[in-house]
Amino acid sequence: MGLEVDIIFKIAGVGIVVAFLHTVLDQVGKKEYAQWVTLFGFIYILFQVASIVDDLFQKIKSVFLFQ
Amino acid sequence: MTFSRKLNQSFCFNRKGGSTIEIIKIVGVALIATFLALIIKEQKPNFAFLLVVFVGCVIFLFLVDKIFEIIHMLEKLAVNAKVNMVYVETILKIIGIAYIAEFAAQITKDAGQGALASKIELAGKIIILAMAIPILTVLIETIIKLIPS
Amino acid sequence: MIKLIGAIIIIVATTWTGFEAARNFSERPKQLRALRSALQSLEAEIMYSHTPLHEAARRLAVQLSKPLSTFFEAFGKKLTDTETTVKEAWETSLKEVWKKTALKQGEFEIMKQFGETLGRHDRFSQQKHIMLTLSHLEREEADAIDRQAKYEKMVKSLGFLSGLLLIILLF
Repeated sequence: MGLEVDIIFKIAGVGIVVAFLHTVLDQVGKKEYAQWVTLFGFIYILFQVASIVDDLFQKIKSVFLFQ
Repeated sequence: MTFSRKLNQSFCFNRKGGSTIEIIKIVGVALIATFLALIIKEQKPNFAFLLVVFVGCVIFLFLVDKIFEIIHMLEKLAVNAKVNMVYVETILKIIGIAYIAEFAAQITKDAGQGALASKIELAGKIIILAMAIPILTVLIETIIKLIPS
Repeated sequence: MIKLIGAIIIIVATTWTGFEAARNFSERPKQLRALRSALQSLEAEIMYSHTPLHEAARRLAVQLSKPLSTFFEAFGKKLTDTETTVKEAWETSLKEVWKKTALKQGEFEIMKQFGETLGRHDRFSQQKHIMLTLSHLEREEADAIDRQAKYEKMVKSLGFLSGLLLIILLF
């Protein structure tokens, strides 16, 4: 459980920092950099979520579907 | 999984204390995640959405051991009652499919794609029905046999 | 514990980098202003007190503050000590000092152009050249102020936030 809670906070932290970076870069008119920062943050989080969803599906398979 | 060895020894297992702690843990994680999602949602809704998905997975993974216990008990009951294992397996598979479909449908609904959610639910229902065909045919055959011709 | 110390080091380093970059942005208009006032005093020395160039350079070095004073000091010293033309002495001392200032390539070109005219003409056309350089520098200064307003804050917060992001990703 401890590891997962860490990752929850990590996701939230990345979200907040990326949002701030986006606003700061937007204000000075560097819109393309802002987009890139958001994209990278999103990919990182998506990676985390995808790996845990994979974990979940493996567990479901092994418990319910007898494989 | 960790419980499986213990389970083999006793048919009737009484869980030790600690369930209350576990529910407190889950509620705490869910509440924290809710607050964090609220904070992020203002700036980046898609990040908040991913966070919610993640927490859903975490909570289920936490529960998976207990679900395994329950299923194991059901299996043992079935074996003791001399029920054909194929039926029990099919029912368990149906439960699994129902859970997966429900999970995906909830997430898609949260993301604002109601139409997709209903399609997933439809797919789940149809697949469950298809899996239940052998059981249904056996049932119908039994009923037909019972009817005196 | 080690992790915490590492995180603190990372955040201090990135924040410091951000502030250093922001200082560069805020130093440039200041130094441009100082450069302009230096050229104005040079004009006054040439036009009204008829000071020789090395003497004028030494006086300017006393008047000005740190990065520019070393430039005029080096220039004056080169004129008195070594046998070079004014143009070469100006250019080499310009190159020496330029690294230490927050000034950019544009100003460097303007000053180099000015050095080529220095000491070649009579006083009145020299004055005209100084005026021309001053107007060029004024334009650069307006540009520098514009950039300062635009980027100074961004660079500061960018340094801090990127450090924070790095820590979260590595933790």
